[in-house]
Amino acid sequence: MALRRGGNKMKRFFTILKIEGKLTLRGVESILFGVCMPVGIMILICLIAGNKPAYEGADYTFLQGSFGSLITVGICATSFMGLPITLADYRDKKILKHFFVTPISPLMLLLIQVVLSILLSMVSSIAIVLVAVFAFGYYMQGSIVFFCMAYLLVMISMLSLGMVIASICRSVKLANVVSSVVYFPMLFLSGATIPYEIFPKPLQNVSNVLPLTQGIKLLKGFSLGMPVNGLMTSIVIMFAVAVIGVTISVVTFRWE
Amino acid sequence: MNACIEVNQVSKKFGSKQVLEDISFTVETGEVFGLLGHNGAGKSTAIDCMLGLKKMENGEVKLLGENPVKTRKSLFEQIGVQLQASSFQTNIKVYEICEEIAALYKETTDYNELLTEFKLIDLKRQAVEKLSGGEKQKLAVVLALIPKPKVLFLDELTTGLDVVARRQVWQTLKALKKNKMTILLTSHYMDEVEELCDRICILKGGKIVVMGRIDEIIKMSPYESLEEAYLWHLGEEVTK
Repeated sequence: MALRRGGNKMKRFFTILKIEGKLTLRGVESILFGVCMPVGIMILICLIAGNKPAYEGADYTFLQGSFGSLITVGICATSFMGLPITLADYRDKKILKHFFVTPISPLMLLLIQVVLSILLSMVSSIAIVLVAVFAFGYYMQGSIVFFCMAYLLVMISMLSLGMVIASICRSVKLANVVSSVVYFPMLFLSGATIPYEIFPKPLQNVSNVLPLTQGIKLLKGFSLGMPVNGLMTSIVIMFAVAVIGVTISVVTFRWE
Repeated sequence: MNACIEVNQVSKKFGSKQVLEDISFTVETGEVFGLLGHNGAGKSTAIDCMLGLKKMENGEVKLLGENPVKTRKSLFEQIGVQLQASSFQTNIKVYEICEEIAALYKETTDYNELLTEFKLIDLKRQAVEKLSGGEKQKLAVVLALIPKPKVLFLDELTTGLDVVARRQVWQTLKALKKNKMTILLTSHYMDEVEELCDRICILKGGKIVVMGRIDEIIKMSPYESLEEAYLWHLGEEVTK
């Protein structure tokens, strides 16, 4: 009986996941910003400088240096645009409130949106990997396993920041504004698109404050096979961001 | 007759503002009960309290004999709700929202039957946004009926609809009434209330002004129509 009920619950979860997933795909922005744009930026960078050394005398190529950062562009789009705006919209439309008057907890709908964000980020990353490997001959110098673990950590920590935006912004309008204010600086100043190393020193200082910069340092370090010791600060910061983000969003989240 | 909705001395404050004060009433099984009053009189707050969406300072609510907060999961298998001014996901299609709502309940009516009954079946694959106001509200009723509810809560179901659409929605509610569905609704239209409700309760400033059958409410006033009696009970000037 317990098993059957569990099965039912999974079936319900997947039915809703399927429908909400269709809606995500139907809203063209998610694919455009989450998948097409990251892949486009990578192709552009590869065509300009892909197989040249990252800098004079470097023992890795520009693409190898940028791979860890390019893979976060998709995470940015889902964490700072997709997730918070969708949730703010659902709150405005009383869709979250309506779940309270059904037998299912509205938490399930939140969970489904988070799962969709994760899936979309992963699709984006896989597209980037495929293009990098097959079109531009990329290979990773560092450990793929460590890189994947770091990737998950960065993703969770960025999604938790997205949840904070969703919690704090009381309307879709505000969520839109805050999303843009967070998304664009993260995209351009954290090194996700333009390499951090070529920033002038004052800009690097600004960049260092952004949580994504630390995430990118981590991914870059692992992709280039740097020792874990040197990356400890970034790892700790990423964990801290995730814990703080989840705590703030749980405490401040409003269903209506 | 047994009580389907019991509201007992419910009080609710927002900050220092008293929005509901000592509200008590009972809705019997099979009855259509109207909650009336101006905007801000406390109708939606009363519904929120009944559904356990808002905590109340005082009082007690029982739906189908149970506490809506404590037994939420089992209780809401049997209750259909349409919230005021709620809307749907962007880009969602009619059959998709039906499927999503159906996935929330253990036992459901086939939504295709409901769509047919409400003459929405031809719009099944349409985007919900493209529906007219009346069609959207009929869809809201369909969704509220998917769990085979014993009680329906409808908050301002027909506000903003044109005369034709309003009457279409009435037809569907009358059919439900015939089948002994218990309904609690709020409305601003007295013609609608007269058409549908067995008993009404008029709220003003969070307090019950008067409650009873429609003919009783009219008899208590010096007037002959419900609209005039309504205004008279609320202490408003009745202009001809």
